Amino acid sequence: MNIFLSDKNRLVQRIAHGFCEIEIQPIAGKIDKEAHFPWDVVKKMGELGYFGIQAPKSLGGAALDTVDYILIIEEISKSCAALGLCVAVHNSVALYPLLAFGSEEQKKKWAPQLTSGNKIGAFCLTEPNAGSDASGIESEAISKDRYYVINGSKAFVTNGGVAGIYLIFARTNPNNGNKGISVLIVERGTPGLIVGDLEELCGVRANPVSSVRLNDCEVPSQNLLGREGAGLSIGFAALDIGRIGIAAQAAGIARAALEEAIRYSKQRHQFGVPIAKHQALSMMIADMATKVDAARLMAYRAATLRDKGESFSQASAMAKLFSSEISSEVTDQALQIHGGYGYSKSYPVERYYRDARVTRIYEGTSEVHKMVIARGIMGN
Amino acid sequence: MGVNIIVCIKSIKSTASQGQRSFSDELNPHDRATLEVALRIREDLGGTITALSMGPETFATSLHEAMVIGVDRGILISDRALAGSDTLATSHVLAAAIRRLAPYDLVLFSARTADSDTGQVGPQTAVALELPIITGVCSIEQGKNSLFVERNYDGFLERYEVYFPAALTIHQSAIRPRDTGFLRIQSVFEKGLECWNHTDLGLNRKEVGEIGSSTRLFSLSQTKKMRACAFMSGSGPGQADQLVKALLQLDMI
Repeated sequence: MNIFLSDKNRLVQRIAHGFCEIEIQPIAGKIDKEAHFPWDVVKKMGELGYFGIQAPKSLGGAALDTVDYILIIEEISKSCAALGLCVAVHNSVALYPLLAFGSEEQKKKWAPQLTSGNKIGAFCLTEPNAGSDASGIESEAISKDRYYVINGSKAFVTNGGVAGIYLIFARTNPNNGNKGISVLIVERGTPGLIVGDLEELCGVRANPVSSVRLNDCEVPSQNLLGREGAGLSIGFAALDIGRIGIAAQAAGIARAALEEAIRYSKQRHQFGVPIAKHQALSMMIADMATKVDAARLMAYRAATLRDKGESFSQASAMAKLFSSEISSEVTDQALQIHGGYGYSKSYPVERYYRDARVTRIYEGTSEVHKMVIARGIMGN
Repeated sequence: MGVNIIVCIKSIKSTASQGQRSFSDELNPHDRATLEVALRIREDLGGTITALSMGPETFATSLHEAMVIGVDRGILISDRALAGSDTLATSHVLAAAIRRLAPYDLVLFSARTADSDTGQVGPQTAVALELPIITGVCSIEQGKNSLFVERNYDGFLERYEVYFPAALTIHQSAIRPRDTGFLRIQSVFEKGLECWNHTDLGLNRKEVGEIGSSTRLFSLSQTKKMRACAFMSGSGPGQADQLVKALLQLDMI
């Protein structure tokens, strides 16, 4: 894997690996069980640069590249997918749109709060009736004097329960279809922004995914990100990067499962030999390892293309589709190799299995990704 | 006053897994505490920290890591002539490099390494430099123009006052190293490392590497610990009784 990585990339990977092994790995099982967001660790991560990975130094970021970014997400997710998700979403779909589309005043005001991790970012696109079809957004932001008044309802907001800054997608023009959607920056504590109860999810349980309601929520017009009507193009640009992060997250979960499967199959004896010696299992492990390698390489390719300034949307969609699909397969096989113990909460593989499952759903389902990839190949 | 500190660090073969492969090299984990000691002294007294390492080019990553942790300057001493150096030849090379970095106040080593763990390079380098050395330092306090250091050895706590210039080998119990982050990485790679070879240090080819070494590792084999494992069956109190009996039989209680 090292052929694609620079000395700097490898050092970033090693530093992330060291931190995650010591600070995150030991608590990952517990915070999953208790659905607890570990603020103490997150605070440390903020001081170390995890919440401003690609942001410029002048705004408190680490100014690293996209390959560094996905290596960090992969390492965190290998220890704890829920925290990997938190950091990925914060950096890619909350902080990135602010840096790429925000005015100088907006960046100066909000970026340092985000890059330091003092405020966590959330991306509020999905609604109860608008999932894969983002153009179906019903939330409205009506311009009134120097304010927007936002009303609507957002669902499955990653980081929702702890975020300090929410990017809200809402219609500023009800008659202009896809071009009537805009993004507004809303801070926690703004009257009318109501963070709903946390979702009881199957996986990534330490991430406080919540609903968010906007009830006559007034924000100054200066909180409009980019121009009016540019909401969906901002959202899709952010999701292109977000998808590389999810590819890395899924690969990280799969790697964790693979390593557990290798360890267990060498330890567990049946029929007088370690189960790794049984061909049925060794073939399974060979398949798993090959898939994990391919998934990582696809994520590295997408990230490298972005760093070189080349078009990466297609590579990013393919990486996300492949990595999330094989993550489900690999974690399922790792559980199978563990037998009954794999199905028990005493071993971490059941957590990997649950965590991997959602990567095929969020930031675009596998089916939507196939649609996007096919369109890229064959045109509309 | 400002002190110039030199920290000699080492890369070791990694045990951490990176997928199915392992990272090639990593910073000797004991060096983290040693670097932390240097950072704390610089925070209190001012001055500079230089990290020094001898080894192949792959050792560069550990020097970069030391710079990310906070040292001001990283120097890699590397060339083919140095390959195969034993601890004495390594100490001569390090001493020559440290002389080149004069004036210096404090030279730090880790008391241990996670690989060969000879514990020889620190003391040998100090002897070559004619510096006082305290080994296995487990606590450090700053005096006016000196350091008060403690070492815990063979059941006794020894306390020393040392004046600059001096050398110390630091035991990792001395201090908990800080977490390493990403904020300095970009500038470290922009700044880069300095690379020296044996001729830069005024050393003759015959003084270094395999030719300059007075010892050679002849063979290396793993030793087996003689351990027997016995399981106590039954429930808690029954197991406890069996354990007590077994220990009594072995004259262990």
